[in-house]
Amino acid sequence: MEHIELFFKSIFIDNMVFATFLGMCSYLAVSKKVSTAVGLGAAVIFVLAITVPLNWLLDQYILKEGALVWLDPKYGVNGSETMDLSFLSFIMFIATIATMVQLVEIVVEKFSPSLYNSLGIFLPLIAVNCAILGGSLFMQSREIASVGLAFNYGVSSGIGWFLAILAIAAIREKIRYSNVPPPLRGLGITFIITGLMAIGFMSFGGMLTGGDEEAKEEKTVSVNSSEETEKEAKDLANNNIKAVK
Amino acid sequence: MGLLSKKDSKLILDPLADNNPITIQVLGICSALAITAQLKASIVMTISVLFVMGVGNVVISLIRNVIPSKIRIIVQLTVVAALVIIVDLVLKAFAYELSKELSVFVGLIITNCIIMGRFEAFALGNGVWRSFLDGIGNALGYGIILIIVGFFRELLGSGTLLGFQVLGDPIDKTGVYAFGYENNGFMLLSPMALIVVGLIIWVQRSRNKALIEDH
Amino acid sequence: MEKRTEKNSYTVFFAIIMVIVVGALLAFTASALKERIAENKRIEKQQNILYAMGVNENEGNKANFVSKDKVGESFQKYITNQLIIQEGNESQDDNAYLIDIKKEQESAKSGNARRLPLFIGEKEGKKFYIAPIRGKGLWDAIWAYVAMDENMVVQGAYFDHKGETPGLGANIKERFFMDDFIGEHLMSNGTFKGITVSKSNGDPKNEDKTDNEVDAIAGSTITGDGVTAMIRNELKLYVPYFKNLKN
Repeated sequence: MEHIELFFKSIFIDNMVFATFLGMCSYLAVSKKVSTAVGLGAAVIFVLAITVPLNWLLDQYILKEGALVWLDPKYGVNGSETMDLSFLSFIMFIATIATMVQLVEIVVEKFSPSLYNSLGIFLPLIAVNCAILGGSLFMQSREIASVGLAFNYGVSSGIGWFLAILAIAAIREKIRYSNVPPPLRGLGITFIITGLMAIGFMSFGGMLTGGDEEAKEEKTVSVNSSEETEKEAKDLANNNIKAVK
Repeated sequence: MGLLSKKDSKLILDPLADNNPITIQVLGICSALAITAQLKASIVMTISVLFVMGVGNVVISLIRNVIPSKIRIIVQLTVVAALVIIVDLVLKAFAYELSKELSVFVGLIITNCIIMGRFEAFALGNGVWRSFLDGIGNALGYGIILIIVGFFRELLGSGTLLGFQVLGDPIDKTGVYAFGYENNGFMLLSPMALIVVGLIIWVQRSRNKALIEDH
Repeated sequence: MEKRTEKNSYTVFFAIIMVIVVGALLAFTASALKERIAENKRIEKQQNILYAMGVNENEGNKANFVSKDKVGESFQKYITNQLIIQEGNESQDDNAYLIDIKKEQESAKSGNARRLPLFIGEKEGKKFYIAPIRGKGLWDAIWAYVAMDENMVVQGAYFDHKGETPGLGANIKERFFMDDFIGEHLMSNGTFKGITVSKSNGDPKNEDKTDNEVDAIAGSTITGDGVTAMIRNELKLYVPYFKNLKN
């Protein structure tokens, strides 16, 4: 259930392009033709699907505060010398991503030289693509709970990005024959259309924020014995943490 | 510009207009959209990018002849990441309040495609002084767009500029609000940033017909 | 002959050197600055706690803390006691303000009893009870220091966040939002209700202090919901203490 919720949430509500504007540079530059857009989109899904779970493992066992507990208990959260290597997160995440992208580049060059040529500089730029790094960083800050969920998050975020670039490429192909004012042709109109699509996608966000007193149960807690209150508070806190994710 | 030769001053002036990183080169879009709801954030970001690009371009240019081509991208990324992390740590130690505002941007600076884009396109093939100028020029070009977008979004969205109410007080209904004007809260939401940039492109290309695309 | 920079052995060699240089540089910077940074964080906590109880240098509509050189002295002067409440037992600890709430919340998740710090301050004869709380905003963590009187009526609050959007969620740090909490009731007819950051409040100047609601910030619904949840879940844990105070 959690998986399904995360899957749809990442594609529609937290869409990488329309909600958080990650990966815009390649999105805008490579969306002139549907075929190249599909190629880049597929590459993004693939890279995200592998790097997010990989980085999750890195974060869990090396970077997080107290993660090195398997090396020596004193490095753990309750140990005497808690180690927090999270300041290395950026560099380590980028290292995994760059390596994966290098791999993808080799594979694409071998199996589809035409795609390789049309992607040009944007294939290596996937390594810097804020969408890929953003995927890993969000995975870290939203404290995604398991490697399976991390994989789910990577794939679904990628699909969201893929849908976005596919849509804009299709629209751009169609408006080639429309009367766009010359100064707006190409990049300008793409910006405006993307803005309008983003507004459209905000409607999905309404599923999260709509209504005032929604799913979260309004429990009026009467001041009874401290033990009961403590237990109730703990339960509510745990439930809310899950619901807010 | 007395100090710089004509060729050199082009390095700074071009990105401000005809070769603007955001509107022509299509780089650095993500941050231009995400943080421009406030003019102050745009300014802080511009200064940070100025520093990182200036120093970064110099470093890459210095080591350009010893970087192995296979790990070029990784080296560039490492340089940027290390620079940004050091800046962040130094700020945390000596200007703590400022660093808190900046930490939101730290991740955005590292992945800012302008920095990598200019390393690839210029610093890797040019001398140190010229790379420095190129870095500064592009950072300024980036900054101009950010400031324009931030200016309009903050003014129309919250009625403030740099935090100061400039149109009157919306709750007490003074100034412009007395005539029934309301803040356009929509401007604070990111899609409007996209549309504002689209409009800037419109204006820019109307003035310089050479930049118009075929379709 | 292959250019020097193309050879595989050179690539590996360069990579190793780069990792060593960058790693050393970062590790050196981090450890050299670690103490200063920790000190800055400590001072910030003191400033935040004092701010919540109204000890600050506010000017116009900007929030200003007690300055860094005066904060140590002010903290000693205004904070008379620091408690740690755990499973109904109170203990005194002058370093209670250094407790990391995030760690406490994680520790509680694995079944340990939660430790609740509470700071007691006094200003002009009035007593303040300040609790540190932590929750989740839209992008990342949010936290706050809430000062209350013995009836759990808010006397002041300071909010902060890690990564909310500037101009939107980040505005929880602005006075126009934080000041709204002053005078708000957390209890209602003897039961704990918390304070809801509400869009349908209908009270933009926040004149009704017993409605358990505060006006939301436009465009920051999820951050606002995070504030509501944080206040409800965390301050509820302090209710037994306040009940005991009354007896």
